Amino acid sequence: MERDNYSKFEMDFISTSGVYKTPFSLIIIVQLFIGSIVLFLVNLWFINSLYYLLTGSEFYSFGLKAEWYYWLLLPLNIYGNILLFTFTIILFSAGIFKLLNKLSPPREGIFERGSKDWKYMHRRFWVAYFPIWLARALPLPWVDIVVYRFFGTRVGKSVVLYEGYIDPLFIEIGDFTMTSLNICIFSHLIYQDKILIKKVKIGKACVVGPHTIVSPGTIMQDFAVLGVNSYTSIEQELEGNLIHIGTPVSLTLPIQSVEESKNKAEKIKLKPSNAEVNQNEIEQNLKEG
Amino acid sequence: MFQPVSLKGDSPSPIDERIRGKYLILYIGIIILSLVPFSVFEYSYIIFFWNETNYWLFFILLPFNVLVAIYIIQFSATLISVLILKIVNLLHVPKEGNFKRSLEDRDYLFWNIRNIVKKCPLYVSASNPFPWFKNRFTLWFFGVKIGKKTICDNSWISSEFVSIGANVIIGMNSTILSFGIEQDNFILRKIRVGNGALIGAKCVLLPGTVMEQNSKLSVHSYTSYDQVLRENSIYLGHPAKLKNT
Repeated sequence: MERDNYSKFEMDFISTSGVYKTPFSLIIIVQLFIGSIVLFLVNLWFINSLYYLLTGSEFYSFGLKAEWYYWLLLPLNIYGNILLFTFTIILFSAGIFKLLNKLSPPREGIFERGSKDWKYMHRRFWVAYFPIWLARALPLPWVDIVVYRFFGTRVGKSVVLYEGYIDPLFIEIGDFTMTSLNICIFSHLIYQDKILIKKVKIGKACVVGPHTIVSPGTIMQDFAVLGVNSYTSIEQELEGNLIHIGTPVSLTLPIQSVEESKNKAEKIKLKPSNAEVNQNEIEQNLKEG
Repeated sequence: MFQPVSLKGDSPSPIDERIRGKYLILYIGIIILSLVPFSVFEYSYIIFFWNETNYWLFFILLPFNVLVAIYIIQFSATLISVLILKIVNLLHVPKEGNFKRSLEDRDYLFWNIRNIVKKCPLYVSASNPFPWFKNRFTLWFFGVKIGKKTICDNSWISSEFVSIGANVIIGMNSTILSFGIEQDNFILRKIRVGNGALIGAKCVLLPGTVMEQNSKLSVHSYTSYDQVLRENSIYLGHPAKLKNT
């Protein structure tokens, strides 16, 4: 993977992502309203049926009348409505997201607080907030990957994203990669009064271990593994086919092939293990006793 | 923010298993009482809108109904638990110090009862999908003062013996604990975080930590008991140590 020739930015420490509440965060109410209006319009026939059963007259003059077998479809209707609600909100907010990207094209670098990029980063974040919350909170299995794709994150095929914080922009995730529980993948960091935005690249078939933090500018090459509880420093490059551990990452270990680990296991099996010896002793004692 | 699984719950307030069942009625009572204003609101909503002229309004205003209902539940749960908390605090005044972790110790017992009382509002505010009136608002009722322009919605903050200044950034997934359980001992100490301090992601502040103004704690580190982080300096490590510059 190639990297742009950026002047290397040295940070004393790695902080966190932090987003302030701005008036723009009221967009969540607009999203909620639009989602439920579409839900209402699509469900008119169902409401009509309910109304017919309750009052005997129709809610509006066209459409379906209440039949008992409509109620067999109720579970399907509920699940469909959840999907419909999330997808209208996703589509709507992806549109706004693209509009914001056109108004101020996202770029990497270091920005002052209150600058245009700082403001637009906050706006992009608040647009992405509610759809991602929905995808995580509702019982929908693969929607979170779809959401990230809609917001311009490149997510490959057969990717597993467990629950964790992943920034919606400047992140590339390759095919067959897995990110574990409670990870933070930051593409932006707060540094005193400034904000740093750098692209994160995660290659093919990587594993990002649980409770890890991936800092901006990290490049994980193909088949790299980031170990449990470790974090990468800014602009660190993790070599492929190795396991990386440390806070920040400093130790690398080889990945053992299946055959190697099998051979080791067989060697261990040849010797009687402690547990087996103990069990034999206990059995002998029981017989004697 | 896009909260991980562990953050969807309430703030850290474990309850001793030995008394969990004993005070269940208190917990359920708070839940039921906090749902009364919600049901009154829904009743009046239906009475007002469910007639021949307002059917369309009934359905169109449903999203706002949901939004208001969430905040009504949160607010009433907080108020009721604050009222009960005041009564509990009259019986036993909460204080800092080292205690024994047994139910004969009144401090430990009442700490557990306080946690039971606070559990419902903290859970409701943590699982609120909207970013307004969350941690800062709820914790203010329990006496935790958090300054203005502080980012604190993505972290666990203990609901007592914590004071946080203005312009503080508390990182994603970090935990602020004002209590510690060490084998048979139970420790309660106040945590102070000064103005403009910065706590990185996945940090843990243990009881008694004092962060002075503009001090910074790097990512993925934890402090030891009663540690003082000096002004304008950077700390990192397990436990946190001053960074050599």
